[in-house]
Order: sequence, then structure tokens, then C-alpha cells
Amino acid sequence: MSTSMLLILPLAGFLTSLAAAWIVPASSKARASGTVQKFIAGIGFTALFVFAFLAKGEIGTGYLGIPLFGLWANFGLTQLSWYFVAMVAGITLVTVLFSLQGLRDDGRYSFYYVWLFSKTFGMLGVLLSADMLTFFIMWEVMSWCTYFLLQQGHEKAKRAGAGYLVYAVTAGMILLAGLLYMYFNVGSFDFRTIQAAFSGFDAGRIIVAMLLVLVPMLIEAAAYPVHWWLPSAYANAETGISAYLAAISTRIGIYGMTMFLFAGFGLTALNLVTANKYVSANEVLMIIGAFTMVVPTFTALFQHDAKELMTWHSIGQGGYMIVGIASSTTLGIAGGLFHVFNHMTYVSLILFSIAAVEYRTGTTNLNKLGGLIKKQPVAYLGLLFGIIGLAGIPPMNGFVSKWLIYRALILSGHPFIALAAFIATLGTILSVYKLIHNMFLGQLPERYNDIKEVGWGMRLPIIFMMAVVWLTGAFPGTVLAVVADIQQSLGLEPIAYSAHGVAAEMGQLNMLVINIVFIGGLFVSWLIYHAGGKRKHIGQYDNYAAGHFLDKSIPYNYNYNFYAGMDHIFERALHKPPVKRAEQALAAFVSGMSEYVRRIFTGNITTYAAYVVAAVVVILLVLGGGR
Amino acid sequence: MSTLSLVVWIIAYPIIIFCIGVLLGGYERKFSARVERRIGPSWIQPFYDVIKLMSKKTNVSHGYMHDVAILMLLGGTLLTLYFVPVPGFTYFSQFGDFLVISYLLLIPSLGMALGVGETANPNGSIGISRALQMLAGYEVPFILTFIGVAMKEQTTSMLDIIHIQQAGGFWAWGLIAHPLLGVAALIALQGMLNEKPFEVIVAPHEIATGPMTEMGGKYLGIMFIQHLIAVPLELTLYINLFLGGASSWLEYLVKLFVLWTALISVNMVFGRFRVDSAVKFMWKISLPLAALGVIGIMLNIA
Repeated sequence: MSTSMLLILPLAGFLTSLAAAWIVPASSKARASGTVQKFIAGIGFTALFVFAFLAKGEIGTGYLGIPLFGLWANFGLTQLSWYFVAMVAGITLVTVLFSLQGLRDDGRYSFYYVWLFSKTFGMLGVLLSADMLTFFIMWEVMSWCTYFLLQQGHEKAKRAGAGYLVYAVTAGMILLAGLLYMYFNVGSFDFRTIQAAFSGFDAGRIIVAMLLVLVPMLIEAAAYPVHWWLPSAYANAETGISAYLAAISTRIGIYGMTMFLFAGFGLTALNLVTANKYVSANEVLMIIGAFTMVVPTFTALFQHDAKELMTWHSIGQGGYMIVGIASSTTLGIAGGLFHVFNHMTYVSLILFSIAAVEYRTGTTNLNKLGGLIKKQPVAYLGLLFGIIGLAGIPPMNGFVSKWLIYRALILSGHPFIALAAFIATLGTILSVYKLIHNMFLGQLPERYNDIKEVGWGMRLPIIFMMAVVWLTGAFPGTVLAVVADIQQSLGLEPIAYSAHGVAAEMGQLNMLVINIVFIGGLFVSWLIYHAGGKRKHIGQYDNYAAGHFLDKSIPYNYNYNFYAGMDHIFERALHKPPVKRAEQALAAFVSGMSEYVRRIFTGNITTYAAYVVAAVVVILLVLGGGR
Repeated sequence: MSTLSLVVWIIAYPIIIFCIGVLLGGYERKFSARVERRIGPSWIQPFYDVIKLMSKKTNVSHGYMHDVAILMLLGGTLLTLYFVPVPGFTYFSQFGDFLVISYLLLIPSLGMALGVGETANPNGSIGISRALQMLAGYEVPFILTFIGVAMKEQTTSMLDIIHIQQAGGFWAWGLIAHPLLGVAALIALQGMLNEKPFEVIVAPHEIATGPMTEMGGKYLGIMFIQHLIAVPLELTLYINLFLGGASSWLEYLVKLFVLWTALISVNMVFGRFRVDSAVKFMWKISLPLAALGVIGIMLNIA
């Protein structure tokens, strides 16, 4: 019952908000239309959140069939899909609550909630689908709705959205090929039937089938080297939407990967047929993951736009999930799946904070901001908690999942993949410091002197997400319990967790002790601090300047080209990235070919008549030749 | 370990490490003075410096983050300290392994970076930019050496690694058993301790002491205290990983001073690298050494 509501509610929300958008379409009434839509969205997504949690009781039972073109579209809930359904429902609700105040009613976003509802419908459909055909159809719905969602906003967003569409359509076509390949080999679309049939197949067929389903998943998860669609698409979208997309939409690819590897056709089958002394299938995936971690993270280091910087990290963090899950060890899979949750919480927190700054200053350019900590302390704290999570520093939740992945990699004998994970973490620390420094620290430019903190409608979601990032860091057992259930349901060894970390037989980690000792350390430091003399707060122009006097006419700041030394080292690789060059060459080739194709359509009626005559002649010749 | 002795250790441990830090700091200044044919200050000069700074009447700060950062700096260092096992006190090691320690070590750096950022002084920001780039420089080879050792012994627990070395005697010491890893980590340690030729962060002649530019009074005093604790802490990491840990405090102190003498001797004869040269040195010399060591271990296992 609740499972079917997960599909009906977003669809109903889509229709009602579409009606609201059409009934009050004129731009002068944009405000009224927006208010109605916000009301519908608030109610609808709250209900969806409730039903997502009610649906936990229906895991594994109650398959739902809907007749579709003479076939049956089957839906059902598994442990794995429930984990993702709960995340989709949760983060969508928080995004919508944030947007109630964060979204300006200036008429540009008139279909914002319409596409948000339909996108949620597509994602939940993918997660719930129990056969290949439904999976494919829902996949297409999801991709197109992402495209429409990306289109909400200014001109640049529309072009970037088109770039996404090229990749999404490619992924969809490969998935369709995979679907047909399986259907012709097995004669059924049902996941369980396919899985049963596949264990008896030969190596070639297993490899082809796995490639055809895994490549679309990797494109959706923006794995290296098919990641170029993501940064421009997400960075140009409305900030709330980029938070939502980066947090969960990209991770549907991780869901598909996990399902196909462990619930679908089995990594074991794949490893069996590709096993040799040097490399196996899961190691190939891990290497892809390692590149996905390192390259985008170091690209992020040199971005000048807060949102663009974060979108590169969103790709890089996906690498951790791929590596963890592909390692196919208990700790690694647990770490990879837990990382999906952690990434969702802190990346949305960071982007909410960026949105709060953008709301007041109107820019996300890192070279123009600075010193905002005095004006927007809540947004600053949100960003601080978020980056500590993103960098994987205790006591926030990002550390726990990264710890699981590192330990899995080291103990399973993959030292260089583990090193890649560490290098990516270091790159993350460097770039997130640049992010927080250039936005909130350093000198406050004169033009931002009158800025105020954003309203409570935006502050509360930020504060709520801060609490989530910290508390799931101190009590990771709450989420690890669900992860352990997933591992159990997939027939894997579940992780031995405790409320505060990982149980002793699988390593030593107790986040609560770390929290307590940290608080103790802070207290002792405060005692020492307090023992010193009284402190006095001074202004930013009361500063050391080697004998000069500072005033507001003198820019006294360091933020442009923040890591000059690193820029020097990576100069060549960064300014001519090989993947981008390959993509540009392909684009030039395609547009060159299109130019030739275009010449066929001259617009001259006699030419077209000549084509018709020529075609008739060719057909007659072919038919005549046949006789 | 009884509750009483645990409480005594928890209180005494940072104080003992601070005293050792004072001696190490005084020794460094005495050592460099003698190399330069000066008499040099007293052996406990760092202690007098701390007392002087902490009793200053003027303590200016640029805002709340500046204040909180100082607490994060010292609090984070104390937090890390408890997880590092020393002879007789290993209670907290059961709650966190070496991976935890290496990430806890980042909390003080982050705290300092945030506080310095709020001081709105470009010299400070440049210092932090350099510090973080240096971090990426030395941490990569250092972590790889640890990965190698952990993979060899199939544990990430620092305590286990110490026990394995002590059980095997001198020939099982990390530096002897995996010389490539030991040397690579030694070079990285030089960078971690901000000694020449990797002393790019403070660089008094270039950027007005970098992160410390706007720090004065008790703020600078707490930074001094943190530094005096961090030096023995980071040396202990190396001793535990590569010099067989220590079974008694005497052995521990001897190893500390021998290692420290080696590092400050190198410090005395070098100038300062440029930032990108320092990072490149770590990645081109120290990292390949560690990688070779790890490949050797992998071949051994397989």
C-alpha cells in the first residue's frame, strides 16, 4: 500500500503543480502561482517522506503489477532500494523546505516543482522497478525530467542541460541494447529469472551483458572518463537543484551498479570469467573509481566558482563509492553504501550554505567574495560542518565511511588504490579550505557591508543538516544498521557495527569516544585560554601591513590563484585535460559530419524532386536486381 | 588498568609530553647555537617564552572564529595525543587505529587555517596556502609508507604494529625490515615537522612569519604550547611505526632525542625550498621510494 503511494504521490503532485503553473501562468502573477506550487510541494513531499518510512514494513512483500502495452510493469521494494528510497524522500523534503524561502518568485522557475515532482517519480520508479523493462522506462523518465529540471533558470543552464542530454541519451541507448540482449538470451525481463539464467552462461555473454548495463550506470554516476557532462550542468542549475541533483540523482547510478553487481547477475560470475593472475573485473572497476576520485578532486582545486568547485567534488566523492563497492569486501561495500548517505548530507549542506550566500550577494564567484563570516555566521557554520564532513575529518560522518573504505583497501591488498583515496582526500582538504576562505574569511569587500543573514526559512534547513552530519558521525550505528541489513539481504557478510562505530572484531573505531575526548581537549584549551589576559576584538583594517596604514580604499586580500605552487605543478595537465580534448574532437567531428548532412537539404524544390526521382530509380534497380 | 591510574594518566600525559616538548625545543635552540658558535639560550627557554606570552595584557583578536580556532588548534592536538600509544599508556588505542590518528592530526591544521583566515591578513593566508600545499606534499609518501606496513602486518592498529616489532627484536624494526619505507617516511617527517629544507610555512623573510602574523599575546602563547606538544607527538608516530616503539620511558626518551638530533642536523645545513619545489621533492624522491618499498612487500606476499 505505502509502496504504491510512493509512485502515486509524485505523479499526483506533478499533475496538480502543473495545473497550478498553467492556471496562473502570467509573469505578473508569478508570485501567486509560486505560492500555490510551494504549498502543494510542501504537503506532497512531507507525505512522501512519511510513506517512504511506512514502506519499510513492506520490503520483500507485495509486488505491484501495472499493465503496460500488453506487458506487466512490476514494482517491488528490496532492502537496497528502500535505503535509496528513504534517502530520496528525505533529501527532497529538505530541498523543498529550503526552497520555500530560497527560491525567488521572479517567474524564471515557474515549472520548478512540476519537474521536481516528475523527477522524483522517475527516480522512485527506477528504485522500485522489479524487471528490466520497467527499469529502462523509468530510467528514461528520470533522465528527461533531469533535463527539464536543469533547464529551469538562465540561458547558460539551457545549453548545459543539452550537454547532459547527449550523455543521458547515450546511456539510455546502451541500456536499451543491454535490455534487448538479455531478453533475447533469456526470454524474460524479470530480474530474478535473468539472474538465475545467467549463472549458466559462457564468459562472452556475461561480459557483454555486464558491460551493457554497467556503462550506463557509470555514466549516470559520472565516473571518469564519462564525467564531463556533470560540472557545467549542475553548476548552472538553480543552487537548490544542484544540491538535490548532486546529493541523490547522480547516486542512482551507484544504486544500479550495486544492484547489477550483487543482486542482479553477480560480480562473482564476472570475476570467475575474467579472473587471471594480473587483474579481475572488480579491480578494473576500482581503477575507474580511483581515477574518478583523484582527477576531479584536483580539478576542483583550481575552480573559481563555488558551485562549480562543489560539482567537481560531487564527481570525486562518487569515486569513493565505486571503489568501496567494487572492492567487494564487507568493509568496502558497507563503506561505499554508507558514503552515499554521508555524501548526500554534507554536499546538500554545503550547497545550501552557498545558496544562502548567493541569495544575499547574487554571486558565487570565489574571487569576488570574502569576509562574510561577520555577516552570515549560520551559513558559515553550515559550510564548516559540511567541509569537515566532505574532507572526511573526524568527528563528522564523512570520516566513518572513508575509514571503512581505507581499511578495506589496505587489508585486501590494494595499496595504490588506497593511496589514491588518500590523495583525493588531501586534494579535497585543499580545495574546501579555498572555498571557505574565499567566501567567508579574509577581507570583507566594502560592497557587502550591508548584507544580512538569510531568514529562518533557510537557516533552519542548514541547522538541521548540520545536526544530521554531526550526529550520524557520532552515532554511525543508526545508518550502518540499514547497511548491514542490505548486505544480509544480498547474501554478503554483514558489517559488525556498534552504535558508535565499528565493532572490535572488524577494527577499532569508536566515534563517541573521539567526540568526548575532543570536547575534553577543547575544554582544557579553553581553561588555558581563559587563564590569559582579557581579549579585545578589532576590525579588519587594524592589521599588520609592514608599516602602511590600511583603509577601505586598499584591497588587502589573498584569494586569486590561491594555490599558486600547485598550479605550477599541474599546469600542463589542467589546462589541456585529455578527456576534454577527446570530447571536443568528437564534437567537432560530429558537427562537421552534420554540416555535410545539412547540405542535402538545400531548400530548393527541384533538388528535392531530383532526390525523389533518384530514390525511385534506386528502389526499382534493387527490386529489379532481385528478380 | 585501574580507574585511578587511568585518571592519573589522562591528567599527567599531556603535561609530561609538554615537558618533553620544552626540552626538545630548548635542545634545538642550544644545538643550532653551538653549530653557529653562540652560547644560546637556556634549555627551558621555550617554557619562559610561553609564560611571557600567556601573561601579556594586550590580546587582540579579529573575531569569534579567531578565538575558537585557537581552541581547535590545541584541543585537536590533545585529542590526537591520547590516541598515540606510549609506554604504559595505551588505553585509547582500542578506540582508534592509525587511520584515526592521521585524520585527527588534521583538526589542528584546519583550526589554525580557519583562525588565520579570519585575521584578514594576506601574509597569513599565503602561509596557510603554503601549509596546505606542503601537507599534500608530505602526507602522500607518509601515508603510503603506513599503507605498506599495515598491508604487510594485516592490521591498521598502531599498537599491533608496535607489538609485532617488539616481538621480532631489532631486526623486525620497520626501518630495518622495510628500509625504503623507513627512509621515505623520514623525509616526509622532516616536512611534517616544518624543518628546513621544507620550512616554507613560517618563512619569516618572505611573508612576515605567515600564519603567525596577526597572532599575539595568549594566542601566540597557545600556538607555542601546541607546537611543543606536536613535535614529540609526530616523532612518536615515527618511532612507533619504524623504530620499534618503546617498552620503557628511558628507551622512549633516547629514541626521541636521537631522532630529533638527526632531523635538526639536516635542518641546520639546508636553505629553504620554494613551495612547488618542496612539494615536488616529496613526490619525486620520497614517494617513489615508498612506492618501491610497497611493491617489494606486495611481491613478498604474492
